Amino acid sequence: MSEILAKTEAIAKKGKALGADEVIAKTIFGRYRQTRFSNNQIDITVAWNDYVTDVALAWNKRLVATQIRNFQNTDRIMEQLFNLAKVSKENPMYGGIAKGTFKYPKPNADKKLQELENPSAYVIEAIEAAKKEAGTEINAGGILFTKYEDVYLVSSEGPAGQDARSAIELSIRVFSQRDASGHSVECCSTLKDFKPFRAGEKGGKIAELAKNPKQGEEGKYDLIFDPLFFGSMLGTWGGMASAYSVMIQLSVFVNKLGQKVASDAVTLRDKPAEYSVNNRAFDDEGFPIQENAFIENGVLKTYLHNTSTAKIFKTKTTGNAGLVQPTPWNIEMDSGDLSKDELFGEVKRGLYLTNTWYTRFQNYATGDFSTLPRDGIFLIENGEIKQSWKDLRLSDNILRLLSQITGISKERQHVHWWLEAEPPSLSPYVLAKDIQMTRPK
Amino acid sequence: MLANVGVGENSLERDIVDYALDLARSKKVEYAEARAQSTNHDELVIKNGTLDAFLSTIDSGFCVRILADGGLGFASTNKWTKDEAKEIVDTAYKFAKIAGRKDRITFADEKGVETKWSVEQKEKIEDIPPEKKIDELMEVDKTLSSQEVKVPGRIMGASINLIEKYFVNSEGSIISSFVPKIGVFAFITVVENGKPEQAYKQFGRSGGWEAFNEWKVAEALLHDAKALQKLIKEGKAVKPGKMDLVCGTEVTGIASHESCGHPIEADRILGREMSQAGRSFIYLGGPYWIGTRIGNDKVTIVDDPTVKNSYGYYEYDDEGIKARRRYLYKNGIINEFLQNRETAAKLGTRSNGSSRSISYDREAIVRMANTFLLPGDWTEEEIIEDVKYGIYMKSFTEWNIDDRRFNQRYVGREASLIENGELKHPVARPVIETSTKNWWSAVDAISKEVGYDAATCGKGDPMQGVPVYTGGPVIRLKEVYVK
Repeated sequence: MSEILAKTEAIAKKGKALGADEVIAKTIFGRYRQTRFSNNQIDITVAWNDYVTDVALAWNKRLVATQIRNFQNTDRIMEQLFNLAKVSKENPMYGGIAKGTFKYPKPNADKKLQELENPSAYVIEAIEAAKKEAGTEINAGGILFTKYEDVYLVSSEGPAGQDARSAIELSIRVFSQRDASGHSVECCSTLKDFKPFRAGEKGGKIAELAKNPKQGEEGKYDLIFDPLFFGSMLGTWGGMASAYSVMIQLSVFVNKLGQKVASDAVTLRDKPAEYSVNNRAFDDEGFPIQENAFIENGVLKTYLHNTSTAKIFKTKTTGNAGLVQPTPWNIEMDSGDLSKDELFGEVKRGLYLTNTWYTRFQNYATGDFSTLPRDGIFLIENGEIKQSWKDLRLSDNILRLLSQITGISKERQHVHWWLEAEPPSLSPYVLAKDIQMTRPK
Repeated sequence: MLANVGVGENSLERDIVDYALDLARSKKVEYAEARAQSTNHDELVIKNGTLDAFLSTIDSGFCVRILADGGLGFASTNKWTKDEAKEIVDTAYKFAKIAGRKDRITFADEKGVETKWSVEQKEKIEDIPPEKKIDELMEVDKTLSSQEVKVPGRIMGASINLIEKYFVNSEGSIISSFVPKIGVFAFITVVENGKPEQAYKQFGRSGGWEAFNEWKVAEALLHDAKALQKLIKEGKAVKPGKMDLVCGTEVTGIASHESCGHPIEADRILGREMSQAGRSFIYLGGPYWIGTRIGNDKVTIVDDPTVKNSYGYYEYDDEGIKARRRYLYKNGIINEFLQNRETAAKLGTRSNGSSRSISYDREAIVRMANTFLLPGDWTEEEIIEDVKYGIYMKSFTEWNIDDRRFNQRYVGREASLIENGELKHPVARPVIETSTKNWWSAVDAISKEVGYDAATCGKGDPMQGVPVYTGGPVIRLKEVYVK
């Protein structure tokens, strides 16, 4: 057992010795690096080192939590935490944490991502690729982010394990004109698969196509979503599949288990696989992560659970425990049988939407919402991109959007971007019919 | 009594921060600063009447930011040792040097400042035991769940922070501060006749526990719950067309924040946020710049960190610059940008103290504090009485705005029809979707009373949600399209 794992275990044992019913301690030593750039130049490179142990402690169905950052006197902190539990209130819904011992796969983290020799080289590679597509006069901005985390978890209920998680992400937005832009990302868990030029190239291509946009026309359209845009929608559905969201009505999936919630073409899974920037071996209870198809051929099959919510819904944990509530890790949409070009060929008159932001709801329970497409918006006629448009808003219902999906591409891209395409996903090009677009008046 | 778990274990070790600055100054730097922050944080969440969890923690650490060879580097840690201080100084210095910029970053001139400032508390948060925090929030839930209106979905939380900062820089600044900050949020779902409607409400303030009772949280949430119930029972759709739109203070506030505060941030104008929060409709060589008309001459919007006890209150920003009121749109004209030292240097001006960071491990960037429209000379009643046909949108639900901050949409939550100067039946989710210029040009009446709402403004990568007020008086937009 490593020294840090032993220290983490000591924290959990101390909680138990004080009289706690259950204790989980999770230590993360994280090294995070980010290079921010705009106007084709590097603005700043930042580094943050974080040393923290998250502790959750339950006593008589009272759940309390803390984060330890000073490891000189962990006993005293645990005593204070236990005292807090004693004056806290009972949560009758609390159903315990995962029990048992589990085997976890060996971590696949890339040690090269602890510290890149020259992060700016990747940024320059992406900008140069964009210039090849959209010309030297472009204005590009974005971030290059790397993560390397050593994770140690010990639960009083048996689970104990070690994980290492790494990621590298590049996000680049390319402006070919003031109101013409393209955005793309390159996200990997290891350096070997990371190709920054791909993001620059795609962002540049969209920016070039987006030149001289016309005011968009309000109406109902068949829409083709780029993987980056659709990653944002997948993240929304993933969040709504959390049993916690269901319990507080922040979801369109309330009381819909076993029901048809999407077209037959739709299968959505939560799966923090090796390729994902959010990959992991176990959840925050130490339960091994698993693949959960929460929508299968259009039918809602399960919510995403921790041990407590699983008990409430009379089922088993799905390995989605965060410290307090279940959370999606990485959403995958099953691929379809059409190529991207074939998918475009299905559209007589419609729009290709490349990215979006600011998704907001009138009502999470009914799903009425709007989201603002940004970067390239293109009119498609007879399968071909005909014109660049601007200033349109997708204003419809997110449950209806699921039911209007008629085509899914074979190609999929791993996307993650800021708060918008979050959590990360494996996202295809998607065709949805007859969706309402509005514009300002 | 100190309530937080971890108290006594972590605190600002100023000698280590000073050591980090000295190390940074010993290198060939144009500028260096070290900033430390310790936050005692309590957070409790009550879900449908039960306490979900109580998180109590202390997060403390420090960072250095270095300007060298015209490039910027930043590094932070929560390990309070001199070795770690040396590591982050070396890292920040290395990062500054590798930037390789064609145009060098410089900072607008400032003189060093030595000062201390703090926010007073009437009821010290440190003296409030955890059980009282729980009981008072539980009481809100109990009040809400015991009424005739059905609220089957209730989630509310309190976030209580004691924030201590210590800032030093290579120009001689030494600034210490202490700010207690308390915030409460609630999200409720009302169901009537099988139909759900929802509302989100946030409260926030710099100061002590006294705020919790002053807000009258239960009363405010009950008002919202009853309004949603009435909306479900009696709400009618609006007949789309041009009409007068009277906006409550909450709607005025969000519009001031989104379509004035954000586009006026100088870092956005200069493109530094281009791939995340976006750019601005204001840019050099474009149709809008300082001196351009953007609204009716009645419209003056300010951003003011010095509003006492406000959620966005501060006396010095996170670059050590004294805070002051900024006139963003003045009499309908674009007047002043929000600046930090980097943007000010690029635009040939001085910082106006707009640089904020949410934590020791985040770079300070240009942010709003409290953004609001200044009052006019109407009463709310006079405005309504003067409307022949229109809508009163008291609060909003869905909203969004494009990343140039020009194309925006607000959907009414509590809204009523106005006919011949009288409020009539509730209107179900009226929508205004318009441009920034159309919105502020249509304002023709402004009430005397300014109302504030607490909000968490999102910007930065990684995201930094900073506490702010949005606010303003009741306003009337004349003859705008509502659907």
